[in-house]
Amino acid sequence: MTKMPHVLIVEDDEWLAEQYVRTFKGGNMSAEYVHNALAAMDVIELRLPDVLVLDLLLVGPNAFTLLHELQSHVDLAAIPVILCTNSADQLADEDLKMYGVVQVLDKASITPDDLVAAVRRVLL
Amino acid sequence: MKGQVGQFEDQDKPSFEGLSFVTMAAHEMKSPLALIRQLSLMLESGSVDEEERERMLRQITLTSERALRLTTNLSRSARLEDSLFELEPLNPQQICEEAAHELNPLFKARGREIRVALRHRSMLVVANRDLLRRIVLNFGDNALHYADSDLPVELQTSSWDRGSKVRIGVRDYGPALKPDIWRKLRTGLGAGTQTLHARPQSSGLGLYVAGQFADAMQGQVGATRHKDGATFYVDLMASTQLKLL
Repeated sequence: MTKMPHVLIVEDDEWLAEQYVRTFKGGNMSAEYVHNALAAMDVIELRLPDVLVLDLLLVGPNAFTLLHELQSHVDLAAIPVILCTNSADQLADEDLKMYGVVQVLDKASITPDDLVAAVRRVLL
Repeated sequence: MKGQVGQFEDQDKPSFEGLSFVTMAAHEMKSPLALIRQLSLMLESGSVDEEERERMLRQITLTSERALRLTTNLSRSARLEDSLFELEPLNPQQICEEAAHELNPLFKARGREIRVALRHRSMLVVANRDLLRRIVLNFGDNALHYADSDLPVELQTSSWDRGSKVRIGVRDYGPALKPDIWRKLRTGLGAGTQTLHARPQSSGLGLYVAGQFADAMQGQVGATRHKDGATFYVDLMASTQLKLL
């Protein structure tokens, strides 16, 4: 039996985070969410996710604070990050690669299937 | 009220750095619409049980209502200069009770509590009922989404400046504002990025509109920073009507 991939969602809108969890569970993945970057670091210390789905603007430290922190540890720098944001049109994928961001998704236009497909692509 | 106080002066109000009001409003609407869309798509797929379905429908309703409050505020704000607003003596405690009642379903659905602080001595404020209600609702929405604590959000009224003014505030509990965020808050209601309360997904437009409503009543909005959260408030002229009794 293959191991179920584990997704950590960092999203400060609780209802949207719950929706992502539903979506990933429907795609045969395990998922959990936290609301901010600091909580994300705590959770990552306990269990390394296979993929991180990250909102850009968070309460408190924003996504880049978390990305910098991840990049400063060899094991954590390898976690693939999917940025899921309302500001996707303002971001250049190339600039984000150095932060471990493998894909940027636009919250306003993705479907639940897109989200699952994005994670599957990363895990291939 | 202890804490660091910041009033939003006229010169501090946002210019939105060249972005049009419409652009900012559109950005502000994205979050609730994106959430509603995700929930609807999941419901359409039919892959949720009945209990979950009910919960999601409720979330759609409450998120739509929040978005509608914002759009109504924006249209009201755009018409401010063309309108005359009747100012009358109002009981701010009653306005707070009404706002708390209106916001309660949203707070409850988010597992949070909103309440009005008890006040024994009555006072009256010179205000427009609709505009004041909208300011308090706006602050309440802000507190719900950006406070990070199980403690209730509290609507408070107090008299100050020797009774000549009344402060109506919304106190939230959450992470303290970092000094740099606080400086930004004090020097402008957010010109484009992270603004009030390190607010994500927000241009500060809602609070800017609250400031406009306060202006229309010769009042002023501001904020007090606490160690464990913030109070957003509006100061308005007190009515002397009660003193004449």
